[in-house]
Amino acid sequence: MTALAVRRTLQAVVVLLGVSVVTFALVHLVPGDPVRLALGTRFDQATYDALRERAGLDQPLVVQYLQWIGRAVTGDLGVSFRSGDPVTALILERLPATLSLALASILVALLIAVPLGTASALRPRSFVDGAATVLSQIGISVPEFWMGIMLILLFAGTLGWFPSSGYVPFTEDPALWLRSLVLPAVTTGLVSGSVLTRFTRSSVLEALGAEHVRTARAKGLPPRAVLDWHVLRNALLPLVTVTGVQLAYLLSGVVVVEIVFAWPGLGQLALQAVEARDYPVLQGAVLLFAFVFLLLNLVVDLLYSRLDPRISA
Amino acid sequence: MSAAAAPVRPRRNRFLAGARLLLGSPPALFAALVLVGVVLVALFDDQVAPSGANDVDVQQRLQPPGAGHWFGTDDLGRDVLSRVVLGAKVSLQVGVVAVGFSLVCGVLVGLFAGFYGRWLDTALMRLMDVLFAFPAMLLAIAVIAILGPGTTNAMIAIGITYTPVFARVTRAAVLGVRESVFVRASRSVGASDPRLLFRHVLPNALPPIIVQTSVSLAFAVLAEAALSFVGLGTQPPAPSWGRMLAEGRGYVDLAWWIAVFPGLAIVVLVLAFNLLGDGLRDVLDPQQRSALEAARARSGRRRRRTPGRTS
Amino acid sequence: MRRRTVLTSLAASSIAVAGCSTGEGVDTGGAGETGGGGGGDAAAFVAAISAQPDQLDPHKTTAYASFQVLENVYDTLVVPSADDLSMQPSLATGWTTSDDQLTWTFTLREGVVFHDGSPFTAEDVVFSYRRIIDQQLANSARFASVADVVAQDPTRVVLTLSAPTPNLLSNIGGFKGMAILPRSVDEASLTTKAVGTGPFRLESSGAGEIALTRFEDHWGQAPSIDGVTFQFITEPAAALTALTGDQVQWTDNVPAQQVASLAGDDAVELGQVASVDYWYLAMNCAKAPFDSRDVRRAVAFALDREAITEAARFDTARVNQTAIPEGSEWHHDYAPFTTDVDQAKSLLAGAGVGGPLTMGLMVTSEYPETVTAAQVIASQLEPLGITVDIQTEDFATWLDRQGRGDFDAFMLGWLGNIDPADFYNEQHRTDGPNNYQKYSNPVTDDLLDRAGVEGDRATRKSLYDQAAQQIVDDVSYLYLYNPDAIQAWKPGITGYETRADKAVDFETVTLPS
Repeated sequence: MTALAVRRTLQAVVVLLGVSVVTFALVHLVPGDPVRLALGTRFDQATYDALRERAGLDQPLVVQYLQWIGRAVTGDLGVSFRSGDPVTALILERLPATLSLALASILVALLIAVPLGTASALRPRSFVDGAATVLSQIGISVPEFWMGIMLILLFAGTLGWFPSSGYVPFTEDPALWLRSLVLPAVTTGLVSGSVLTRFTRSSVLEALGAEHVRTARAKGLPPRAVLDWHVLRNALLPLVTVTGVQLAYLLSGVVVVEIVFAWPGLGQLALQAVEARDYPVLQGAVLLFAFVFLLLNLVVDLLYSRLDPRISA
Repeated sequence: MSAAAAPVRPRRNRFLAGARLLLGSPPALFAALVLVGVVLVALFDDQVAPSGANDVDVQQRLQPPGAGHWFGTDDLGRDVLSRVVLGAKVSLQVGVVAVGFSLVCGVLVGLFAGFYGRWLDTALMRLMDVLFAFPAMLLAIAVIAILGPGTTNAMIAIGITYTPVFARVTRAAVLGVRESVFVRASRSVGASDPRLLFRHVLPNALPPIIVQTSVSLAFAVLAEAALSFVGLGTQPPAPSWGRMLAEGRGYVDLAWWIAVFPGLAIVVLVLAFNLLGDGLRDVLDPQQRSALEAARARSGRRRRRTPGRTS
Repeated sequence: MRRRTVLTSLAASSIAVAGCSTGEGVDTGGAGETGGGGGGDAAAFVAAISAQPDQLDPHKTTAYASFQVLENVYDTLVVPSADDLSMQPSLATGWTTSDDQLTWTFTLREGVVFHDGSPFTAEDVVFSYRRIIDQQLANSARFASVADVVAQDPTRVVLTLSAPTPNLLSNIGGFKGMAILPRSVDEASLTTKAVGTGPFRLESSGAGEIALTRFEDHWGQAPSIDGVTFQFITEPAAALTALTGDQVQWTDNVPAQQVASLAGDDAVELGQVASVDYWYLAMNCAKAPFDSRDVRRAVAFALDREAITEAARFDTARVNQTAIPEGSEWHHDYAPFTTDVDQAKSLLAGAGVGGPLTMGLMVTSEYPETVTAAQVIASQLEPLGITVDIQTEDFATWLDRQGRGDFDAFMLGWLGNIDPADFYNEQHRTDGPNNYQKYSNPVTDDLLDRAGVEGDRATRKSLYDQAAQQIVDDVSYLYLYNPDAIQAWKPGITGYETRADKAVDFETVTLPS
């Protein structure tokens, strides 16, 4: 168990290093001179050179990379070209919005998926199962941004129940925070929920098909009776994994949904950084996404192996 | 893995049986019909579309759906139906090329990693892990930032993004058949590595890859729509469904049809790929397949019974 | 039994959702009616703008979004009046000009303090202007003729000029890019912090919003509202819904296509004024075949400006073949081009362009109307045998390509110009800093030079008219239209005025009681 944890962690660190190299390379391959863009349309050569030097862009790429990664380990991701703010501060500022949205989306998704998936697994080919299958298929096939626009049109426009966009920090007004959260969370939650419904269904089905359950069924017990904790536990194991992956995906910023809802999250920050060629911000944001993704996967992996002693390799 | 015995069976019969089984399921049949329809529309777009996709006529803007324009006209007076029809071509092209790209790259990586194992496996799969650790949309955006916006670059970006999935799926399948009796036997009679890989290992690893292809096509269509929606994919005036949504969203309350029809088109195409993927999984997964065949046989006998009571 | 389990859990989740909406509904009602509760947001004023400011240093930013905020935080020596944009006293109460027009003496307002409590003096003016000049910041060209800035005494600043500059006032007061900062300011902090003399002080700037609070010690009347919160809502439809849904009180992110229906809507007050902005197409005069005047003129004859304008702006813009809008005292009524494809074809043939031609047209998603207009332009140039390759770039790449001259043609607009010199000098003089299309005509240069130093208003106008005619005839810019400034706010809000220069000033706003 411990050996496994150590090995997985080391693997994750190696991948993270790889990610940092790829991120750095990607960002520096982006055409367009960031210094020039930071300075606007008019500037003199001296200012240009000074900013270039201050940003370390006059150094060889390898040196730039090592400097960046060296500081990144200490939590210093440099300063934004655009605003001069520390990148870490910019990211931390966006984190509550992204966290709120990701967690709320997962909540919505699980609220949909667990009851619906279990119900359809318990009565395969029933009406509930059919409806759940059709709805989750459609849910997976709908572009999120399109769903967002439709929800805005209906619930913010026609009905006026929720704000159409924008984010209110929890610390400012918890009630408004919740209200601002509903539509974006439902948008992403419906899609994630569709994915999770399918997983819940198939894993509950699988658990029900497991040997001891089949034996119980063969003895004539109705399915409801055999749906005990053991079945649920086995069924929910895969769900933990998929939920973790979905959460990682949501935390990484659902870029397009954030744009539709004017949600000041990390995805929006990254997209703005791409547009402004703000290297430090883009690098920092992408590295953070990958870090979160790897971390969540690691946690899920370890949790999984803990819950399911069969897995040890 | 019982799949190791597969190549011994007469292939054609198995294929036909599989196809019959696949099309016997209503969702998969629906999916197949939709896909055939979309492909036909894309192939004969000029004949199908009532007018040119870029026939701008500002006087005719924002006409509601009616006899002249079945899907109405957009903000520049272009016929929405024609643009949806021509958009099918773009979506299919991007989907097929992008997935083809990830399929070739990913399958090769997965084959080699899984078959040779050791350091090659570690190196290749860690590289895939690295790519996989990036959020898909963000990776695609970064790639497009480097290459510049456009349909071709969107294909490459989406292709790169989905390569790791194919590598993983292929590798897992290869690991399953690598040590099978059949492959070991071929190896012992001196079959060369390429022959082993492409004649024996790959065909046996195909089922999950085929399923993944269908599912990835769905993702690729969605990704193209999303990229075009943020302006990084297909460039105007070329009609792409994602772009049409972006253009139409400012008009949803004035002219719902501009955004609704391309949105529906995306849903239908993606749904078809997803359903086909599900159907393929049911047919190609040996365990599921036997269960499916059994279930069919049963439901054939009890045709009038309501669904859900078959057990 | 099974069924019940399912129903229970489904019901539970739907109740949870319903619970939210009911609770929230009550909450909104409370806030909307009195707002008197615990929040103390009685005079909250939220303005939705379409983009996040790139930075808040007034001397460095060139983004309109930044100036929407900075307008309320900083002051300039003089300021354009709301009705005709003529220059009025602000931090300067008066000014005198020497007989040779080369020495301008400004008398400064007394008793003005900055947001940090330090008093405003002539040294601050010198500091601010020198900062722009010495560091060659974004607006340094506005000081091109300024030889020296001196504080004569704490309340008097003298600007010495190298040449008469009749438009000096609009140069130093046209917008908040010429803002006065305290000389003690920490320059590096200005990207996110602000110390001005304006009616509001910058409370906080963040990813989602920027908050301003009333500056009690403002030299004018302190605002009646407690503060202004700027929210960034990119999506016009979302901004409008936020307005009708009472989440914001003001927005300028109003989709043109909605204006007609909003005009009759009691739930929204609409401000619509012809603006000084203009949108244009520029072809690369340094690149074949667009270096040929006849080719550019052929394009000018092929376009149907009415259709382009209608497509890009619905009924909220006016076609104009010159830059300065009708209604401005500097407007020159000149429209030599009528849509005439035959004429265009013969011009092309005359220029020796026989075969089909491709024109890369660079537009930016930052300004969606350029993308819309480009598609109409493409369809209009098709009969001419010109294939338009629309290249949509993000604004960073767009600016970069513009700067490098890497384009056949581009479309963009200029915002907020006041004096004719602003409209023509930088854009059309040979080697002008914004002459990216590389237009060069000695006749135009000479006219602009003479107009720049001409003190007599009528003569100056006639010189600029001639220059404008030359520019239009040579198709340095292919002018398309002047859009309206469109803003919307909640009924009952008073003291706000939509301005032709699109300056957004909330100083005198009062909320309905």
